[in-house]
Amino acid sequence: MPIGGHKQQPVVHELESAIVEGVELTADWNRQLESRVILDYDTTNLFALAELTDAESIEWCYGCGKCVPVCPVDVVGEYGPRKIHRKAQTGFDLLNDPDLWLCTTCGNCLRVCPKEVDMIKIMPAAREAAMAKGNPVPAELQGVFESTFKQGNALGQSARKRAAWTKGAGVPVRQLPKEPGPVEYLFYVEDYWSYHPRGHDAAQACARVFHQLGIDYGILGHEEKTLGDSQRLAGEKGLFEMLVEQVVETLDKYEFKQIVTPDPHGFNALKTVYPKYGHTYDVLHYTQLLAPLVDQLKWTRELDYTVTFHDPCYLGRHHGEYDAPRTLLMAIPGLKLTEMMRCRENGYCCGGGGGGMWLDSHTQNHTTERLSERRVKEAAESGADVLAVCCPYEVSRFEDACKSTNLDGQLRVMDIAELLDEALGGIDAVAPTEDAA
Amino acid sequence: MSDTVVVIGGGPAGIEAARNIADLGMKAVLVEERERLGGTPIFESYAALTPHFDDAEEAMDGMIAALAERAGADVRTNSTVTAISGEAGDFVVTVDGPSGSEEVAAGAVVLCTGFTHFDPGRERQIYNYYQYPDVLALQDLEVMLKAHDVRVPSTGKVPERICWVQCVGSRDRNIGNEYCSKVCCGVASKQAIEVRKIAPDSRAYIFYIDMRMYGYWEQQIYWPAQEQYHVQYIKGIITEILEKQGGLIVRGEDTTMGRPMEVAMDMVVLSVGMEPSEGTKTMAGVLGVEQNKYGFIEVARPPLDTVSTNREGIFAAGAALGPADLEDTISSAGAAASKAVALIRRGSPAVV
Repeated sequence: MPIGGHKQQPVVHELESAIVEGVELTADWNRQLESRVILDYDTTNLFALAELTDAESIEWCYGCGKCVPVCPVDVVGEYGPRKIHRKAQTGFDLLNDPDLWLCTTCGNCLRVCPKEVDMIKIMPAAREAAMAKGNPVPAELQGVFESTFKQGNALGQSARKRAAWTKGAGVPVRQLPKEPGPVEYLFYVEDYWSYHPRGHDAAQACARVFHQLGIDYGILGHEEKTLGDSQRLAGEKGLFEMLVEQVVETLDKYEFKQIVTPDPHGFNALKTVYPKYGHTYDVLHYTQLLAPLVDQLKWTRELDYTVTFHDPCYLGRHHGEYDAPRTLLMAIPGLKLTEMMRCRENGYCCGGGGGGMWLDSHTQNHTTERLSERRVKEAAESGADVLAVCCPYEVSRFEDACKSTNLDGQLRVMDIAELLDEALGGIDAVAPTEDAA
Repeated sequence: MSDTVVVIGGGPAGIEAARNIADLGMKAVLVEERERLGGTPIFESYAALTPHFDDAEEAMDGMIAALAERAGADVRTNSTVTAISGEAGDFVVTVDGPSGSEEVAAGAVVLCTGFTHFDPGRERQIYNYYQYPDVLALQDLEVMLKAHDVRVPSTGKVPERICWVQCVGSRDRNIGNEYCSKVCCGVASKQAIEVRKIAPDSRAYIFYIDMRMYGYWEQQIYWPAQEQYHVQYIKGIITEILEKQGGLIVRGEDTTMGRPMEVAMDMVVLSVGMEPSEGTKTMAGVLGVEQNKYGFIEVARPPLDTVSTNREGIFAAGAALGPADLEDTISSAGAAASKAVALIRRGSPAVV
C-alpha cells in the first residue's frame, strides 16, 4: 500500500480568458504546449476570509508546505491548508467551494505549522460565514443540524431513549433525574454511546467496569443533550451556543465533582470551549478516570489479541492524552499492543471530526477513499487483529470501513471499554439485576 | 610609523570607521569623492532604512554630526585617492582635492567604497526596464517613498496593483552574479510595507525564488509585511514583463500551483542586487588589493578575519567586501578601524 494512497489530480481553476481591471489577459502562446491558466490574483476573497473572527491566521501562511504531507485529507485527495491559502490568493472562494467541508479539524497541520495558521479556528469561521450568506450546506450535514436542534442529538433520536442502553448493562446505572442527590462523577454519555447499537455495547461494558471499581456516578438520562462540539466545528456556532445554555441549565441542577465522558469531542467542548462562555467544569475522559485505577481491576480472562490503538484527534493531538488509553490496554492480561505507523502526535484522523462524521457522502465525492478506510488498512498492516478505539464515533466508522475494504474477517474494532470488560469476564461476571433480567 | 589612517569613502562604513579611529586616539583622514558625506543612502535618496524604518537622512545626518565632533577626524570631500606608495605603517597616500594634490602619510588605509545597484537594463534586458516607464528598480521607488508620494510614472495615479520581482541581478550564473545580495528580500518587504501605508488601497505582491530573511529580519520585516500589511508573497519568479493596453502583464511560473501565471500590474519594482561600485573597482586597482571574480574586495584570511585585504595595512569594510546590510556594514567598519589602529599601535604589521 503506498503511504500516500491514491492521489487525485489537482483541480485546475482555469479560465479561457479573463479581464482584470480592464485588461484582457488572453494570449495564444501558452496554448501551444498546454492549456493555459490565468491566475487573476484577486485577493478579495482571501482578505474577506481573514477578516472573519478567529480566521486572521489564514493570511499568515508563507507557503512552506509542512501542513500538506500531514493533512489526512490530502493523503486521500487534493487538499491542504497551504493549498487553501494559495488558492485564496488567486481568487478562489472557499465559502462557495466543496473544500470548505473537507477539513476534519484534526489539528495535525497546526501541530507542524511554523506560522501557527490555525485551521481549527479558520474552518469553523468560514463555514459559519458561508451559512450566514446562504451558501449551500451539504444536505447530510444540514440534516444533522436540524436533528440536533430538534432532538438535542445528532442521530435524531428521541430524548426518552437516551438511557435505553442501561437496560442491557447488567449492572445498575443511576439516572440522576430519577435518583437525584450528590454524586462523585457525572457520566456524560454523549450521542453515539447513547443511541448507536455498537455504542450501546461500549456504554454497557463501561458501566460494568465502573461497577466493579465501585465508582460513584450517575447519568443525566433523558435530560442529556449533546455538548455539540462537532456541530460547532462544522460551522453551527449558533446551535452550539443554544446547546451550551441548555446543557449548563441541566448541569446546574445536579451536584457532582467531575464530569466523565467517553467522547473526546464532548471532552474538548467542556475542557476548552465551555470555559470561554463562563462555564468551567472538571472533566475527564473515561480512560483518564480508569487508568490510575487499573491495578484494582480483577481480571478473569486473558485476551490473546494483538491490538493496535487509534488515537482520537480530540484526545491525543488536541489534549495531549496518549498514555491513559495505552495504560489500560497494556494492563489487560495476554494482550499485545502494536503501534500503527501513524500514531500518537501523528495519529491519522478517522475522518469523523469537525463535522466529518456527517459528511461522508460529500467527502467521498472529493477523495479517492474514506479516511477511515485508509486507517483500517494501516491497522491491518500493523499486524493487529483488533483495532482499539476510545471515541464513540469510531467503532461504527471503522467497522463500516473494514467491510468496504474486506478487512472485516481480519480486523475487529473494539472500544477499550469493551476490551476491559471482556477481560473482566463481561456480563457473565456481574450478578444479575432486575434491569438485566 | 604614522598615526594617521586614511579612510576612503564617506558612506556609512567610512563614517563609522573614521569615527572609531578617532575614538581610539588616532587621526582619521576621510576621503570622499562627492561633495558631501552620506554615501548611497543619501545619494540614492533612501527613505527608511531596513529593518527598523529609521529615516535614512536623519540617520546619516546623525552619523555625520557625530563624526564632526571628533577632533581626530579630518574630512576631505570632493577628493579622491590617486596613488599609494610605501608599506604598512609608512604609506604615502596621494589625495587629489579642490586645493590640489597632497601626500598624506598614513600607517594604514581602510577602503569603504561600497556598492552600486545592479542595472536591470544592462545585458539581458528581460524586464524592459528602460523601455517601460512603470518598471522601476528598488532605488527608483525609494525616491517616491522619500517624497511620501507613490505614483505610477506613466499615469500619475496611485498604483492599485504593485509587485516586486526578487533576485534581479543576483543568484544568476548567466549574468555572472552567482551570489545572493542578502538585503533585497528585506528591502522589498520594507518597501511593500511603506507602499501599503502610503497607499492603503493598493495591493502588493512579491514574487520570489526563496525569501531570504536572515535572522531577526524574519520577524522584523517579513512576517509583519504579510500579517499586518497583507502583502502577498508568491513563490515563483517573473521572467517576462509585457505591456498591454497601457498596463503591464507580468508572466512567470507559479511554482506552488505548477502552472504558468500571468498577472496584471500597474507598477513593477525590480529588486536589484548589489555590485561593486566604480569606486571600489577603481580603488582596488590604485591600492593594489585583490578583488574576487565579481569585483568586490577579497578578504585575505576568512573566516576569522573579515576585513584584511591581501596587502598588509590595507583593510576594507562595508559593501566593498560584498553584499552587506547596514548592520554588517557598521560591524565591519568597527573591525577594520580596530585592526588599522592596532597595527599602528603595535608598530609592526607582521602579527597575524
